[in-house]
Amino acid sequence: MKRKNMHKSRQNLMGYLFMSPWMIGFLIFTAIPFFYTIYLSFNDVTLTVRGWEMQWNQYDNYISAFLRNTEFIPNIISFCIYIVIYAPVIIVIAFILAILLNQKIKFRAGFRLIYFLPVIIMSGSVMQQLMDSGNTEMGSLETSVIFMIIYNASPILAKALSFLFENFSMVLWFTGIPIILFINGLQKINKSLYEAAEIDGATSWQMLWKITVPLIKPIVLVTTIFTIVQLGLYNLNPVYQMIQDTIYNTAGGLGLASAFSWIYTFVVMIFVGITFYIFRNKDGQVE
Amino acid sequence: MDFIKSFKHNFIDSHRLYKMITRICVYILLISVSYVFLYPLLKMLSMAFMSKKDIIDPEVMWVPTSLSFSNFKVANFVLNIPKAFYSTLWFTTVLALSQTIITALTGYALARFDFKFKKMWFVFILVSFVIPIPIVIIPRIMMFTSVQEQFSLQMIGTVYPQLSMSFLGQGVNSAIAVLIFYNFFKMIPYSLDEAAQIDGASAFQVFYHVIVKMSITAITIVFLFSFVWNWNETYVTTTFVRSGIELLSIKLATFDGNFARMGTAIPGQSGEARINEAYKMAATFISMLPLLIVYLFAQKQFIEGIENAGITGE
Repeated sequence: MKRKNMHKSRQNLMGYLFMSPWMIGFLIFTAIPFFYTIYLSFNDVTLTVRGWEMQWNQYDNYISAFLRNTEFIPNIISFCIYIVIYAPVIIVIAFILAILLNQKIKFRAGFRLIYFLPVIIMSGSVMQQLMDSGNTEMGSLETSVIFMIIYNASPILAKALSFLFENFSMVLWFTGIPIILFINGLQKINKSLYEAAEIDGATSWQMLWKITVPLIKPIVLVTTIFTIVQLGLYNLNPVYQMIQDTIYNTAGGLGLASAFSWIYTFVVMIFVGITFYIFRNKDGQVE
Repeated sequence: MDFIKSFKHNFIDSHRLYKMITRICVYILLISVSYVFLYPLLKMLSMAFMSKKDIIDPEVMWVPTSLSFSNFKVANFVLNIPKAFYSTLWFTTVLALSQTIITALTGYALARFDFKFKKMWFVFILVSFVIPIPIVIIPRIMMFTSVQEQFSLQMIGTVYPQLSMSFLGQGVNSAIAVLIFYNFFKMIPYSLDEAAQIDGASAFQVFYHVIVKMSITAITIVFLFSFVWNWNETYVTTTFVRSGIELLSIKLATFDGNFARMGTAIPGQSGEARINEAYKMAATFISMLPLLIVYLFAQKQFIEGIENAGITGE
């Protein structure tokens, strides 16, 4: 009994010892800042000679964000539309490409090499330069009739759609890691399931929907969340740029920037929550 | 003759014909998708070699009329290549090394020890990946400026803010690195640890002599990924480094401004310096070239790294 206790305490000690750098870092750089930003968002923050000074101003920053600032809400809305349109497109395309690449074809490694390449070179500045110079545009949608109709109904939606078609390459660049994850998941599916289904006379279409899709669902969850996180990181996302500008802007200051980041984070968390809800297991378990 | 025979045979055997057609369709699809993937890069390459005349000329689409290297000269000058390259290289390497070490320790703790609240820490690792950076970056800025003021240490504009973050496991995509290590360490049989422990090795000795030496593959994978991530990271870097260190990613992002500022000092610019797309594309190509070379040699490690990361949660 004593021995067992000793073993247990050693496990505790060693585990915490090895993980302590990460734990301290998480507390200092992630957990505390996370809550501190909430506090900051209710303050006016200014840098003085005596250091940072905070002045409680209640909901003023949020009123600014929602009512006074004319850019923030449209930016958030367009970010939401980007996510709603791009995340499913990216996941579906990645899934299709993974199924194609999972077959016995020649140059498989070569195709995989090409599809994974963007993961290596994709950076904010590279994407910005490529998009600025118009090198990502393969064609334009803006003159077509359908575009005009959508544009009349909702300009933001039309813009997001036309961006999707014009910069289809950029959207595809986000599929790099999801494709690899899907292939990995497809290879783990037991082959005998397909054989059994084939004997029972199932078509490959039926097998796709009855075997592959249900078994790959957990991976869809992970890749979707991954994609949502990734989509937030690059220039496609107008909110990041706006938050950064606000940080350096002395008039609005860090308080307003905190309110912006909190609203933004809240929106992202809602998307992550929705993803969990859609792809949850039937038992209600998450993992 | 042979061809016709095989054709007839195929025609009769409709199943095989069907299979052949699907296969051709698959190839066409994969190749056209590859084209879309590579389109911006191909366009970038072709533009980087174009002369001013070719860019304006609407008839020149892909192939420049003559190979012009003057764009690279200009880009090289504006990016200040030898210096920017070296500073990016050491900046990235330092961050990647520290991130690799710390995530390895974290992965080891999670894979080998059964400590209290382990599940909770696991969740925290995932949380640290999912929460957007803006929510934590403002207090981080305040923290580092306070340290700078209090102890009169230069923090903003140096590598130290990001170094301290990756040394405490909060670098770019640290969570993925931890997961890669965790899954790799779990595959190493526990009996090896026990054997070393019986011989009197402490936990650190086990980690160093047994685990690290068996995990060169995982260490390489994480280091390579970390290198690429830190090289490409622009958001946190522009916040903390600003223009303190000449980094390629920042220099590329501010290429237009730098070009205008340097003006006639740039070789080949007489009179008023005018920027054009070819310069920018040459600069973009130069800044991604090191990564392309790394990818060419280590593509297997990159893809296997993601495959074995176990991000999919088994």
